[in-house]
Formats: sequence, C-alpha cells, structure tokens
Amino acid sequence: MLAQTFEKAGLSTVLVTMMPYWAEKMGAPRTVGVEVPFGHPLGMPGDREMQMNIIRAALSLLEETQEPGAISEVGVEWPQPSDEARKDWQPLEASPIIKMMRDQAQARAQERRQET
Amino acid sequence: MPLDSFKYLPRSIAAYYQTIRVDRADPIAWTPLSKPLSECRFGLVTTAGIYDKERDPPFDAERETREPMWGDPTYRGIGRDVVQGQIGASHLHINNRDILADVNIVLPVDRFAELEEQGVVGSLAAETYSLMGYQPNTSEWRERYGPEVAGLLKDEAVDAVLLTPA
Repeated sequence: MLAQTFEKAGLSTVLVTMMPYWAEKMGAPRTVGVEVPFGHPLGMPGDREMQMNIIRAALSLLEETQEPGAISEVGVEWPQPSDEARKDWQPLEASPIIKMMRDQAQARAQERRQET
Repeated sequence: MPLDSFKYLPRSIAAYYQTIRVDRADPIAWTPLSKPLSECRFGLVTTAGIYDKERDPPFDAERETREPMWGDPTYRGIGRDVVQGQIGASHLHINNRDILADVNIVLPVDRFAELEEQGVVGSLAAETYSLMGYQPNTSEWRERYGPEVAGLLKDEAVDAVLLTPA
C-alpha cells in the first residue's frame, strides 16, 4: 500500500516480505518473498551474509523486471526449528487486539455455559 | 516447493487471514527504474515501528492498548548513521528483541553503506523512515503520512526505495 503511494510519487519500490500472499493480493509493484519469521524480513541479527543475500535478491528484481506485480523468491535456511521460530517472533505479552479477541471469546464461552 | 506465507503464523490466525478479502490495486502503480543501480540513490522505509530514542518519542502504544482497533499512523525519521544503541522499538505485535540486537534485519543501514562503498548502489539517502505496521484503518497512511514520506524521499532525490514490513 505504501508501495502504491511511493510509485505514484515517482519512486521505484521493492518490497521484501514474509507474506508474498498479501503482496500478490494487494498488487504490490515488485515483491521479494522470503520464508522468515515476522520481524525478520532481512534475516537473522548479526548474519551479514544472509542479510546481504536477501538485499541482493531485491536489487536484482528492481533492476531486471519491467512487469508490474512481479514476485520473486529468495531461499533462506532459517537456523531455528520452525515450531520454535513460530513462537519466538511473537511478543512476550499478547497484543491489545489479541487480548481483546481472547476476552470476547471467553465471554461468549461463558454465555454459552450459562445458557445450558 | 513454493514459499509458505503462513509458515510462522499460529494456525488460527493463518486461517483468519485467508478469509480476508482485499482489493487488488488496478492498475498497479509503477515507476520504472530510470538508471542503473550504481547510479541510484536509495531510500529505506520499514514498518517495524522503530525510532531513534535520541530524536523522537515512541509510537503511541498507550492509545493502542486503550483502543485495540487503532494503530499509530505517524512516522519517524532515522538517520543513516544511527547507532544500534539509539534504536527503540514500539511494535506490540512482534518480539522486538532481535531488532534491538541488529537493526539491519528491518532497516539495513549498514548493509546499504557497504553496497554504496562497493559501488553496487549509487548512494543511500541521509534519512530513512519508519512507520508502525499495525494499521486496522489505513486511511491516514493513504491520505496523509504515506504521501508525506514520499515527498521527503523525493526532496532527497531518492530514486528507489527498499520497503520492509515487519
């Protein structure tokens, strides 16, 4: 979405995202998909080589494609087991919206218990 | 095997995301790259919700805590020479630990300084920009803050922007 605004202003953009699914749905101009946990679009902290590989893939797409909506992928070996990584990126305390949804679900469950 | 956008999401959230309908941009806005990378000035924009603690206040997490369907739509400028210890992070939807260890995983200032040094890219603009990606209502981004950041990048003669959502 910011990408659309920037392109309209005359800036060429490339988006690096762990959710190319969204980028495709929204019509991002140029997208590099990378299979990494949230909060880590360019890789592991301190891993210069991994970061540079992902950035170079973004630069290549920027340079090579003339096709609006182009998506490429870059392969990354994530060093954590996926179950661990799935937990590790999440905030230590649930976000306000997640808390609100949990509270609402609990309230509905309680209502159902009272009805029966 | 194709890349799995949902690999690291809890199953309930992944299932929910796949039910959301979005309007695809039509046509897709497009500015062709006008020159070789080695002549381009680059801008960096992240939605990781980071900021320079010595310059700016955090994004407004207090209001988001009171109003979970609201996310701070403003932006912060971060200089390309920022040092790691100046980086603060106020995104409530990710664990900020790794960003506070190495900002380059969302805002690659050091990597782009190296690419500039190597002559791979023309230059990195003096100022980079950060927004906070949790935006249940995107109208302020579309109508005000997105165009403002675009204008600031244009003022610095930026040609191309690397965008990194968190």
